[in-house]
Amino acid sequence: MTRYIFHKEDSRHHEFNEWLDSKKTFSFADYYNPKRMSFGALRVFNDDTVQATKGFGRHPHDNMEIISIPLEGSLIHKDNLGNEKVVKKGEIQLMSTGSGVFHSEYNHEQDKATRFLQIWIYPAQLNNAPAYSQVAINEAKSQHQFSTIVAPEEGPHTARIQQDAWLSIGHFGAGETFRYDIRKKDNGAYVYLISGNIEIDGHNLSAGDALGISDTHSFSGTIKSQDTTILITDVPMNLEK
Amino acid sequence: MTSNISLRLLAIGYHPEIMQVLHRLMNSHSGWKGDIATSLEEATSLITNNTYDGILLAVGVTPEDETFIRTQVEITAPDTKIIRHYGGGSGLLENEIRTTFENLTTK
Repeated sequence: MTRYIFHKEDSRHHEFNEWLDSKKTFSFADYYNPKRMSFGALRVFNDDTVQATKGFGRHPHDNMEIISIPLEGSLIHKDNLGNEKVVKKGEIQLMSTGSGVFHSEYNHEQDKATRFLQIWIYPAQLNNAPAYSQVAINEAKSQHQFSTIVAPEEGPHTARIQQDAWLSIGHFGAGETFRYDIRKKDNGAYVYLISGNIEIDGHNLSAGDALGISDTHSFSGTIKSQDTTILITDVPMNLEK
Repeated sequence: MTSNISLRLLAIGYHPEIMQVLHRLMNSHSGWKGDIATSLEEATSLITNNTYDGILLAVGVTPEDETFIRTQVEITAPDTKIIRHYGGGSGLLENEIRTTFENLTTK
């Protein structure tokens, strides 16, 4: 029987200071809610807005697949693997942090805020060699259908993740319908609405809302407004950590 | 809340620079006292000579190492909680500790 977890936008933990406005879906840093720990292998889903030139200084990561998706503006990333990259709207960055990476991450814009999704997924294996990838989203292919932006296999517009996980993005218009087939048995789909309005199995989602769907092979939805953008994170639900 | 109690923690991991960060984070938290070990030998010595509430298995610790550590802990301090630490820093650390100890401390 299909299971649903509905996360309304205003149910996210919201905290801000002079440079960071962060909306956290799941428990992270000082925010602790035992009912909001993860959706399967999806452990972190933060919607962060960083003020111009500000950001996160050099800090470590390991054993996490960390995906950054700018929604407005751009980030500048530097790491000890030798990468120094600007990641802008329309691109995604994936760090397989494995056996350890140090990096910094700042808003690259000099005069405006950058908003980005920060997504952490548990890796399939521990302590692999770190890896970095950055790809441009195929905007043409993501019109009126879902385009894969993260997958276990690398592609020209697909970053390689070290987990049986897939991220897909699609831009739709009012009145369109979609069907999504979950990629693997025992995976679930976390549907995050970046913009617009949709309905899935009786659940009405507005921008910032999310619906976790599991114990099913597929689901369908109806687009309720123009300029609707949907991000689907398809992850294993049963983890042996 | 873990901040109101004293937890003695040991983090085991093989990336010295990351372990220094974990050491700093643990000891900057009110109510936690943390040691680090950057080798199995060092971990064995610390586990043998101290009593920890929790042991964090951090970067580099393999499933085989984990089995070895669990066996040692079962012999020397069976009440010690074994916690797998992910992420390398502050993002998940507090949550991992609270998930493990919150129910115990609120009883």
